[in-house]
Amino acid sequence: MRKFLAIVGREWRAYFFSPLAYVILAAFLLMNGMIFSAIVAFLNTPGAPKGQALPFLFTNTYFWIFNLFVVPIITMRLFAEERKSGTIETLLTSPISETTVVLGKFTGALGFFLTLWAPTLVYVLILRSQTPIDLGPVAAGYLAIALIGAYFLSIGTFASTLTKNQIVAAILGFAMLIPVFSAGLLESLSNDPGKRDTLGYFNLWDHMEEFSRGVVDTRRIVYYLSATAFFLFLTTVTLSAKKETP
Amino acid sequence: MIEVENLTKRFPTQVAVSDVSFSVREGEIVGFLGPNGAGKTTAMRVLTGFLPPTSGTARVAGYDVVTRSEEARASLGYLPESAALYPEMRVREYLAYRARLEGVRGAEVARRVRQAIENCLLEEVADRKVDNLSKGFRQRAALAGALVHQPPVLILDEPTVGLDPMQVIKIREMIRLLGRERAVLLSTHILPEVDAVCDRVLIIDRGSIVAEGTAAELRSRLAGSPIVRASFAGSVEAREPLAALPGVTSVSEEAADGETRVRLECAAGADPREDVFRTAVARGWVLRELVREVVSLEDVFVRLTRHEEIAPEAAALSRPEEAAAAEEQSMENPS
Repeated sequence: MRKFLAIVGREWRAYFFSPLAYVILAAFLLMNGMIFSAIVAFLNTPGAPKGQALPFLFTNTYFWIFNLFVVPIITMRLFAEERKSGTIETLLTSPISETTVVLGKFTGALGFFLTLWAPTLVYVLILRSQTPIDLGPVAAGYLAIALIGAYFLSIGTFASTLTKNQIVAAILGFAMLIPVFSAGLLESLSNDPGKRDTLGYFNLWDHMEEFSRGVVDTRRIVYYLSATAFFLFLTTVTLSAKKETP
Repeated sequence: MIEVENLTKRFPTQVAVSDVSFSVREGEIVGFLGPNGAGKTTAMRVLTGFLPPTSGTARVAGYDVVTRSEEARASLGYLPESAALYPEMRVREYLAYRARLEGVRGAEVARRVRQAIENCLLEEVADRKVDNLSKGFRQRAALAGALVHQPPVLILDEPTVGLDPMQVIKIREMIRLLGRERAVLLSTHILPEVDAVCDRVLIIDRGSIVAEGTAAELRSRLAGSPIVRASFAGSVEAREPLAALPGVTSVSEEAADGETRVRLECAAGADPREDVFRTAVARGWVLRELVREVVSLEDVFVRLTRHEEIAPEAAALSRPEEAAAAEEQSMENPS
């Protein structure tokens, strides 16, 4: 456990030593600032339904574009960097299991991802001081961000074990995220109810809308958690296999 | 502390380590010597649990590196060839991180880190970022990382690469000190290092151990017949009088640069240098040079790892410059 925490701490801190973290952070705040001002403008319209605006923070197109691009950039360095520099050798010859290494790095990346989102809590507080807000859906929205974030990050982490080149890792991660994200969107193209149901199970966009309305469906949670576990398992397997070509 | 039995590591395209057996006891520093690509790094990676062996067994501190990998890894400190570090971390931070990964806890972390910094002469850079360090300091920081948790077994892959001569001497002193109560296996292709640091040498070539023993043992085993070289000013008829000296088995003579050079092959244990001097005085030859060739570890190494078969004498004759260079080196580094 201590070793796990040591890895989490190092990974989380490592982000703030690279300019990339600040670029991401700035872009993220800019994007959410714009969305927030749109929400405020909406609430200022006479006759706007109060308390209906906040879900927009989680269910806009930018949210998805941002996640699809930023998650692979967050995760690209996790293993690719260590394999390139050779530090992977000291890391894996320390008395730590590969699973702990993978979980530690993943958790560090998830920590950074959630750090990106932390400032948006200020928006919630500001809105709350001006207009009544139901905190239930807000909490559900943040839960969804954490779960979908973890899911995406696990895919990116896996991509990072496949290559020594960080850019290639980011592109691979992006290429894997696109089908994961867009498979569910095919739901609207299908007329067959069976197909629609199946695809709906993967429709992250709709899931996010449900969550932001305050609907916490355990099927969604099971899907995200099991998919995350699956990709982290693949990461561990690849990590062991890749040692042959350090 | 390190026991290796019939270890083989095969890669898809080549056999990197082939049926290697050796052991390192506590309090012993063993040098792993071999040309580049001989399999030193692969063997070390198997020992540290980084690569699984194809066949054979290896134990570190009594733990099998495959079945009890985590315990084995906990008992060793490993400095990989790359000596890689995290560039964004400060030295002290890095060492604390390594100590935690190795399972050192609480206040003990700071204490061990302080000791490692002291041991590896890192005081002046302890709070600098690794990225801004010179190669020598990086190497030492990596070494400090390998021993920060004070393991009973140290596996060091080329520990003195990239250091300046003063640092090399200091690091060797430190390794010798550490080796008193630990088992140390270090790889190198720098031969004087073996003489200076190691109690025992394993010479590995193309995946197999071709010789094993102390540096002195290897020298005497492979020394062959002693050779004495002398040169005299001008042209002198030296061959016959010198061949008559006791212990001299054959003499070759050559004239060059206004002097006569002779090379005496002697019976084992014979040292005719004084007789050569007396002969020269008696005959009025002006002696310019008189040396007994010491077989250096270089010679031993070259003979063992030379892949085409050449008789040692012929090899020595064909490489007069190399032999001379080797001799200089062995005088600089008396073992």
